[in-house]
Amino acid sequence: MLWRKMVRDVLESKAAYLACLVVISIGLMVYTSLNLTADNLWQAKENFYREYGFPDGFATVKGIPDAEIRRLAALPGIDQLEGRIVQDVRVVFPGREESAFLRLVTVGTGQEKTMSKVKLLAGLPLDPHQPGIWVDPQFLAANELKIGEEIPVIIGGRKVFLEIRGQAQSPEFVYPMRNAQDLFPDPRSFGIAYLPLPVMRSLAGEGAQINQLIFQLKPGFSYQDVESWLEPRLERFGLLALYPAKDQVSNFILNQELSSTEATANTMPLLFLAVGAVILYILLKRIIEQQRGQIGTLRSFGYSSREIQAHYLSYPLIIGLAGGLLGSLSGLWLSFPMTAMYQAFFHLPGLQGNFSLDYVLLALLLSVGFALLAGYFGSRQAMLLSPAEAMRPPAPPSGRHISLERWHWFWQSLTVQGKMATRNLFRHRQRSFFTFVGITFCFSMIAVTGYFNNIISVMIFDQMTKVQTHDIKITFAAPLSATGTRRELLKLPGIKRVETLLEAPATLKHGWQERETVIIGLGRDAELFNLLGEDGRRVLLPERGLILSSQLAEALGAKEGTIITLESALLRGDSISLPVYTIIPQYMGINAYMDKEALSRVLGQGELATSALLVAEEKALPLITEKYREASQVATMENRSQLLENFNEMMATYGFTIWILAVFAFITGFAVIYSFSIVALAERKRELASLRVLGMTPGEVLQILTFEQWLLALAAMLAGIPLTLQLISLMAQAMGSDLFTLPLIFEPNSFVIAAVGTACFILLAQWTLLRQIRRFSLVEALKERD
Amino acid sequence: MEVILTGRKLSKSYQLGEVRVQALRDVDIQIYQGELVVVLGPSGSGKSTLLNMLGGMDKVSSGELFYRQQPLHAMDEKGLTRYRREAVGFIFQFYNLMPNLTAWENVHLATEIAAKPLSAKDVLIDVGLGERLEHFPAQLSGGEQQRVAVARAVAKNPEFLLCDEPTGALDFETGIQVLKLLRKFSREQKRTVVLITHNAGIAEMADRVLYMRDGRLDRIRSNENPLAPEEVSW
Repeated sequence: MLWRKMVRDVLESKAAYLACLVVISIGLMVYTSLNLTADNLWQAKENFYREYGFPDGFATVKGIPDAEIRRLAALPGIDQLEGRIVQDVRVVFPGREESAFLRLVTVGTGQEKTMSKVKLLAGLPLDPHQPGIWVDPQFLAANELKIGEEIPVIIGGRKVFLEIRGQAQSPEFVYPMRNAQDLFPDPRSFGIAYLPLPVMRSLAGEGAQINQLIFQLKPGFSYQDVESWLEPRLERFGLLALYPAKDQVSNFILNQELSSTEATANTMPLLFLAVGAVILYILLKRIIEQQRGQIGTLRSFGYSSREIQAHYLSYPLIIGLAGGLLGSLSGLWLSFPMTAMYQAFFHLPGLQGNFSLDYVLLALLLSVGFALLAGYFGSRQAMLLSPAEAMRPPAPPSGRHISLERWHWFWQSLTVQGKMATRNLFRHRQRSFFTFVGITFCFSMIAVTGYFNNIISVMIFDQMTKVQTHDIKITFAAPLSATGTRRELLKLPGIKRVETLLEAPATLKHGWQERETVIIGLGRDAELFNLLGEDGRRVLLPERGLILSSQLAEALGAKEGTIITLESALLRGDSISLPVYTIIPQYMGINAYMDKEALSRVLGQGELATSALLVAEEKALPLITEKYREASQVATMENRSQLLENFNEMMATYGFTIWILAVFAFITGFAVIYSFSIVALAERKRELASLRVLGMTPGEVLQILTFEQWLLALAAMLAGIPLTLQLISLMAQAMGSDLFTLPLIFEPNSFVIAAVGTACFILLAQWTLLRQIRRFSLVEALKERD
Repeated sequence: MEVILTGRKLSKSYQLGEVRVQALRDVDIQIYQGELVVVLGPSGSGKSTLLNMLGGMDKVSSGELFYRQQPLHAMDEKGLTRYRREAVGFIFQFYNLMPNLTAWENVHLATEIAAKPLSAKDVLIDVGLGERLEHFPAQLSGGEQQRVAVARAVAKNPEFLLCDEPTGALDFETGIQVLKLLRKFSREQKRTVVLITHNAGIAEMADRVLYMRDGRLDRIRSNENPLAPEEVSW
């Protein structure tokens, strides 16, 4: 019988319970779907890595003879060591302006045992005597290429046609990025191609030397051991980079995505569940207050207080179960499209949605646990009432002066409705507190999502309009004479400005800390590459000394004036020491900067340029691209507008996910305000009906409730600002990497968005309240005894 | 004497669960300017329903009800709100004060929405609560609370007062005090007071008594010599 009473009670305030149900469901949907997706991703990664192998370490050198490789393989701690040639080549699609690149990676043809195998997805095996390649499927799809067709590429200044023999995928290029400075992969302009070493040598010249080593460690040896043995031996072959598997770009990003997904999956839902639990708690407290008489009657029949509490626990139990089922099943369903979305980013062959009930069960346990906890605290009062006490009406709510009234100027400025509302805030401290926390939480969530949406644009926009202001960047295949190149380029029609850069890969060391980076040498009059200080003003290059990006400075533990040791394959001597001149904020990439002439002097190789930045008249741009795309000295050519376009495409996808979070926050905020208002309305029905009888309009009556809410909302939004900044800094720390830093700047736009969003869900909740007040039957409301 | 409220064939029925209840049947009624009317009847006789109609809290099912020339039966919710705001002062059996407003604030709340209100403080002094302006309802006795309620109704300066068992929750002594206030308002301000009760003793102070029974207006008795409140007893 009591079950029936419960069901009817719940149905009577179905809107409030429904709001609570929705919040719980959202939490569990996020929990189930993200955990399942992360599991799918993890499983696919593990399987692919295990089956096809992933090296423990990588070394990039300028060139190393084959014989030397055999000697290195015998080093202690090394189980296996292989050499390969990795080279980026330009693809010259007929009739296309933007540049595209293929990274050629030499592989075995299947007979030999290797630690990094490539999975052939379709097509024919490679033939060591034929210029055929395997290409990653995304590049093929994005460029509408098919197996059997030929791709024209420039190798060593020559145009060569490579036959596509198949499509293949390697664990090393699950997330193929051309360099760490890119933010995301672009399969249309960059792909991976695999080919046998003999074919590579026949194309690039027989003298082409191995330039990348991959190795596997023997059990019991750490990467650091092997690194310390390898490094000195590789130095004379022009060591450019030496890094462990965890720093390999594709692997790094995949792992980072995995851990951030798992972190979100296990924290976000708790917030939603907590909000749901608070709503349940408030609803339950209210219903018990309202049903005092009924509880007294039940007790007088002979129901024990335990039975009565069990009865009131059945309310949250049913909501917890329903919310758990709804949330986890929809999460299970959602994990399939989400996994499919990841397929577009991470090219893991075995990645697919899996049906698993594990998380559904866990989600149910979680939601029932939270609901019962809320229920226990909400219904404790019912246990404590003695039957006689329960039968008596509760003591009338006492009016009291509050300390705020001592501020006369403030208090006098309030209307009587305002005074009522303000005193009420203090009368229901607990509910006010939860409302406050709820609004703060939702406001911050919306602000954080707004911040991320804005900040990425800010980062890109800053980078493109303030830092790098060129139209085209040409990177040379080998360093050229700076003055000669500049003179040559200036002869081009329509060219407005040319600046050359000298980029030198180097290792910077400070004490025991060290970092691989690229030192960028800039002209002192550079206008196309600007270094901006904290205040956004240009920083002038010193005659001597380094400018570090803040990210790099932090990694090295360096401050202004710190002496840094610099090692580079390009250096004549062993190493040199330079002071840090200043540190600048940089969102993307970690670099060190120097005056170009100073860098040339340090390297002692004369005045060189490794790339050039151009500004030209718009109509001249295609001509320039056309002229240089097949030139042998040109390694790559980057067009700004092309980059921007790619970025915008990417943002469209990310933006969507970001806004889903904001929508969740909006719904949660609405649910909190709405359910609490309904409780307040029920509690004060008689009071409010009396006001209606006095002649107040529904709008005027609503003001009493809304004044309270706006007052709380204002305070909550103010409190939400520092919370948002705190959340952003936490997330920035978690998400920031070598690749980019999230700037921690005050971004007023996102707070405006959050304030508007918060106001919207409050208004929406109030509008539904107004409808209820309009429907009040005055006669009924006044008849009811408190 | 000027008529302020005219009802013709007022009927009201409503659905109570699965039963249709006829609460008011063809009541013809006139209320005059400045009189003190008591509506007397046992519970269930329809007197509260009649009061709700007169006060614009509910609409009649059939019949016509005019406040001066304005048809209340044809007004929408907006119009009825304006009517309650400008013409009517309500006094309830259980006071219905706002628990978290002081006595003065409770009265002031009503004057804020009225067109030509009296001073909240003056009215409270008038009902003898000059010393208790800053007290909250929970700090006042029942009689004092009802006096605040009277002050709240009077301070709006309405055309007439509607009182629903105003002494129902009070002891005899304090009940008499409240009745004195109502009579004072009627005599001094020349305003109408409609008081509903099942307490026949109170009827003796009325100018006219309307007897309700079974949803009908049973009979009307005019009182040539109404008693003073302190003379009535029950």
